[in-house]
Amino acid sequence: MGMEQVWILPAIPMAVFILLGLFNAYIPRRGDFIAVLGMSLVVLLVGLVLLDFQGSFSDHEFHPSAGANTYAFDWLNIGNGFFLIEFSTYVDAITMVMLPVVSFVALMVLVYSIGYMHGEKRYGWYFATLSFFVAAMLLLVISGNLLQLYLAWEGVGLASYLLIGFYWERQSAAEAAKKAFITTRVGDVGLLIGIILLWKATGTFDIQELISAAQAGAFTETYLTISLIFLFLGAVGKSAQFPLHVWLPDAMEGPTPVSALIHAATMVVAGVYLIARMLPMYELAPIAQDVVLYTGLITALMAATMGLVASDIKRVLAFSTVSQLGFMFVALGVGAVTAAMFHLFTHAFFKSLLFLGSGSVIHATEQQEVEGLGGLRKKMPITAATFIIGSLALAGIPIFAGFFSKDEILHALMDSGPSWAYVLLAGTALLTAIYSTRLVLLTFFGETRNTESYNHAHESPRIMTAPLCILAVLATVSGFFAIDQVGKLLGFEGGIGYLVYPVGGHPHEFKLYVLFATVATITALVGLVIGWIYWHGNAQRANAAKEWAPEIHQLLVRRYYMDELYQGIINRVILGAAAVVAWFDKRVVNETGVDGGAQLINFLGWRLKFTQTGRIPNYVLAMAVGVLAVIIVAVSNS
Amino acid sequence: MIPLENFLILSGFLFAVGLYGVLARRSAILILMSVELMLAGVAINFAAFAAYLDADGFSGMIFALFVITVAAAEVGLALGIVLRLFRERRTSYVDAANTLKW
Repeated sequence: MGMEQVWILPAIPMAVFILLGLFNAYIPRRGDFIAVLGMSLVVLLVGLVLLDFQGSFSDHEFHPSAGANTYAFDWLNIGNGFFLIEFSTYVDAITMVMLPVVSFVALMVLVYSIGYMHGEKRYGWYFATLSFFVAAMLLLVISGNLLQLYLAWEGVGLASYLLIGFYWERQSAAEAAKKAFITTRVGDVGLLIGIILLWKATGTFDIQELISAAQAGAFTETYLTISLIFLFLGAVGKSAQFPLHVWLPDAMEGPTPVSALIHAATMVVAGVYLIARMLPMYELAPIAQDVVLYTGLITALMAATMGLVASDIKRVLAFSTVSQLGFMFVALGVGAVTAAMFHLFTHAFFKSLLFLGSGSVIHATEQQEVEGLGGLRKKMPITAATFIIGSLALAGIPIFAGFFSKDEILHALMDSGPSWAYVLLAGTALLTAIYSTRLVLLTFFGETRNTESYNHAHESPRIMTAPLCILAVLATVSGFFAIDQVGKLLGFEGGIGYLVYPVGGHPHEFKLYVLFATVATITALVGLVIGWIYWHGNAQRANAAKEWAPEIHQLLVRRYYMDELYQGIINRVILGAAAVVAWFDKRVVNETGVDGGAQLINFLGWRLKFTQTGRIPNYVLAMAVGVLAVIIVAVSNS
Repeated sequence: MIPLENFLILSGFLFAVGLYGVLARRSAILILMSVELMLAGVAINFAAFAAYLDADGFSGMIFALFVITVAAAEVGLALGIVLRLFRERRTSYVDAANTLKW
């Protein structure tokens, strides 16, 4: 099992989906263990692929930033290569970052779900759909051509829709699912246009061929810029960046493990993955790259401000995810693919940890709003401890994972980006520390605000706390992968800088910029302190601040009124256009065309029927006239 | 020889009179007689062309023979129909058969 056989990886969860989807009612325990076993197998196989990858690494057979392209078969071939849809895989360093992340977090989530979803309706279907999601996501990250990627892209979107709407009996869940799918669809249209534009100029969908073509000058800069911006639109939709971020907070209607897997660690990073994959092309179109950078910046800041006031634990984490994705796009915007992928890596672990931890809280207290929480650290010590570790990682406190990856991004931004951008992002990092402290304090510290649920609360069963602990360990140590010595221990040539680096660049070794790191640490600590000042105890300072600036508070709570804006656009523009088309269909096509045609025939028939007099002499006359006419025509023609 | 046109005018005249009769008569028998007139005109036409333009004059004469044969057969049929009409309507006027109308 090696890089050539990566296609097996998505096939396994797909088989599980088919099996469970059709037969879960007949399998004991509805097949949850089958899903877990399947995913464990995938994790194992990923390990084998990794070994194969490392093997070719040290043989210096190929450049680690280049990869192994495996072509499997042609699906559709028109004109002998003019239009070619094929199944192909491509494994390189970026893939090797995504594969362990996706499979391992999925495994943790599946194990956790056995506890969390216990006794829920449609338990079997849940595991089936999750497996389908993982299959699509794995297919996405191994895809060698854009069309296959688009297929998998839509697949994960579908899975997301199904899972967000898992509790579809609840109206808000059904609507959230629709909102997610439609918003990402808007982005997907852009992605498709981008793919088509790229194909039009080069005739291929294969990613590596496109990159070589671009580097060889197959595109004019304008054309390339436009295509890449369209491509980025897809990423904006899928990764919930401004202005298509509106679906992610609502996506929390789905079961919490779903949020952990899909909306924190995997699906939402598909956009980051896409841009990272296509980054060599973005380097050739600086304007497109700037679009990426500024979108990321705006999103990061905006989402952090909204996370500051959200009252539902999952919603805070959702905004946090949007914000952290913004960080990743900022990194890509300045060409720092190492930093972006590394942050993707660490973020997957600590964010899924945070979500699963919040799920543990919800499971124990039946509460999601912070009004119903408080002081839970005494009742749920393991959850509290792991959640705090996750928050420290998120805030960027040293030794925890987030510190290393966020630091890389900020450093890259300082090196290659405008200085005001660095200040903005550093400010966002400060906000990140503040809102994570807020969340921890409001949930686990202070006095409880709902004694009844507090009294019922208890620590979650081991099957749920075990993944929490494992992820907590990862949230702590995964940052060290940046260090070269650690990387060498694991069989690579060095740390992350040696694994993922821009094509055509060179690996960069890990350097701790002491001054820089100190500044970052201080920022994070300041954030912690501010958070504590405002929200400790019964959060009097925070409440006072709310009174002092109610309009700002409202603006943030109402998410900058973007939902209302979009609804307004839909009502006026889209439904308005639809009304015009409906009018046209009703009046012109239906009444005038269809009905009118029938009425015309009716009328003609009514008038013409009087020629059928029944009188033979009339008929004879008609015959005679007809014959005469024929003769005249024949004679005049000859 | 008499010019060909004379014969043609004769046959045309006969045909036209016959046509008028067919169109303007009410009695079925008279319509049949007018049809016979038309056929006569046609036969003369064929015979005249045969005699003047065809060296042997076979085809035209034979066609005239056909015309006579067809006329005979047709009259047999037509009188049968007229008899039927008369038995239904008690009149041989052709506008008695007028029910197949709007």
